[in-house]
Amino acid sequence: MAAPQVITPAQRWHPQLLRLATLVVLGLAWETASRFNSTLNLAMPSLLMIAKALFAILFDGKFYQHLGITLWQVVASMVVGGLAGVGLGLWGGLKRRFGQAIEPYVYYLAPTPKIIILPVLILMFGVGSGSKIAMGALSCFFPILLSTLAGVWQINPVLIRVGRSFHLSNRQMLTLVYLPAVMRPVITGVRLGLGMAITGVLLSQIRLSNAGLGFLAISAFQTFQVADMYAILILVFALAALANAGVASVERRLGG
Amino acid sequence: MSAGALAVEHVGKRFVTPQGTVTAVEDVSFSVKKGEFVSIIGPSGCGKSTLFAIIGGLLDQYEGRVLVDGHTVDGAHHDIGMVFQEESTFPWRTTIENIAFPLEVAGMPKKERLEKAVHFLELVGLTDFAHRYPSELSGGMRQRTAMARTLAFEPKILLMDEPFAALDEQTRLLLGDQVLRIWRELNQTTLLITHNITEAVQLSDRVLVMTYRPGRLKREVPIDLPRPRSSEVVGSVAFGQLVGQIWKDLREEASRGMKATEGGRND
Ligand SMILES: Nc1ncnc2c1ncn2[C@@H]1O[C@H](COP(=O)(O)OP(=O)(O)OP(=O)(O)O)[C@@H](O)[C@H]1O
Ligand SMILES: [Mg+2]
Repeated sequence: MAAPQVITPAQRWHPQLLRLATLVVLGLAWETASRFNSTLNLAMPSLLMIAKALFAILFDGKFYQHLGITLWQVVASMVVGGLAGVGLGLWGGLKRRFGQAIEPYVYYLAPTPKIIILPVLILMFGVGSGSKIAMGALSCFFPILLSTLAGVWQINPVLIRVGRSFHLSNRQMLTLVYLPAVMRPVITGVRLGLGMAITGVLLSQIRLSNAGLGFLAISAFQTFQVADMYAILILVFALAALANAGVASVERRLGG
Repeated sequence: MSAGALAVEHVGKRFVTPQGTVTAVEDVSFSVKKGEFVSIIGPSGCGKSTLFAIIGGLLDQYEGRVLVDGHTVDGAHHDIGMVFQEESTFPWRTTIENIAFPLEVAGMPKKERLEKAVHFLELVGLTDFAHRYPSELSGGMRQRTAMARTLAFEPKILLMDEPFAALDEQTRLLLGDQVLRIWRELNQTTLLITHNITEAVQLSDRVLVMTYRPGRLKREVPIDLPRPRSSEVVGSVAFGQLVGQIWKDLREEASRGMKATEGGRND
């Protein structure tokens, strides 16, 4: 006889609903803390104030200017860091000995916070967009390089032999075998790298700049407009989620 | 000499590994006439795939030489098409795109090459699966895709390395019928590498038996069963006698191979 299945309340809940409920509970906790504790009130303005700030920002043209600058810096970082990462990854993957020689360095440099060399980047690329893009590029370069390297090394060797048996030129080998074969790992690297590029750009905007969402958030904080700061953080979060979803949809479309 | 004749003269290959030198193939000589179907049979690890790679021009630094129509082959030859032992379809291409691959390499425009690929798709019976990816096909279908891809290359000489090794006996017999039909239709010189006696006898004009370590040719068995053949030939007395004869040769080699592997050493 089958035992009657015990359904816990959590199981009866749809995951989406559960996620929403979590948000509501957090919101209530936040609101409670904000209203009944005057110290916390400074750090945690009421949700209504944050919502008001959010709307004010969204209807302010200045925000879009900073958004545009941030987007441009992130995109430029991804182009520079991505091309360098994929290029070096393909090169190191094909020239196995070279790749194996540099791999340990890449492996240990990858998780090192790049922000510590921001002063150097500022000296090299100036206080404007240059140093922000350099920081973003440096941040996304490593994960993209690592996954491209791994991708090339994991190519099924028989596919290379198939290519040779059909007399592929070196260029055809690259475009018809290597590139499509590493597409998936490269996209995974791009997804990881995108998060790193956003972080890198925003962090350097927070440290030293006069433009961008990072700058907007930190200057709101420095002028005690904490609600504004939270509103900007929410927008940054939404932006990152959107970018990630974009890459994920490309990944899905590749199928396989 | 007519187009599509293959000759192998005193071919040998040694692999130097940290564990020592392995003589995979030693002094192998044979020839395949234009339009002939020859099988090479030998126990696992006897050097069949090594020989296959040498003939296909994918291995260098070997002894002896390989000739196509009397000319020594250096590197991959445009008259030779290869079907590999391992899974070799491109996972990012659909069946039809896989088959059209060699045509794309040759620079044929997209529309034209897809049209042409359809012919080979039909030949291997995969018409209904034209737009599926390899991950959506069975192992046998993937091997047929790989075979159609090589056929689309239109080689004069077709080399196949245990193309059906991973399949069950029934599927293998039926695919054998398809291979024979295609061979009749395209009249390609065919060299099939296998470790399956039934398959070798079912398909070939001649069977070459290889020894285990070092891989040499031990005997040549002409298969004088009437053509055209179908898989029903498997039930005939003559078939049984040929299988028995080859098995006697092979048994000795196979048991030598087993012992060598059991000892945990490879030489
Ligand atoms: N690249 C290599 N380096 C070292 N040894 C090798 C190499 N390739 C093959 N060998 C050795 O040569 C021998 C013959 O290998 P090969 O793959 O040609 O056998 P095979 O007859 O195709 O076996 P199977 O039927 O299992 O596919 C084996 O002992 C193998 O270990
Ligand atoms: Mg083999």
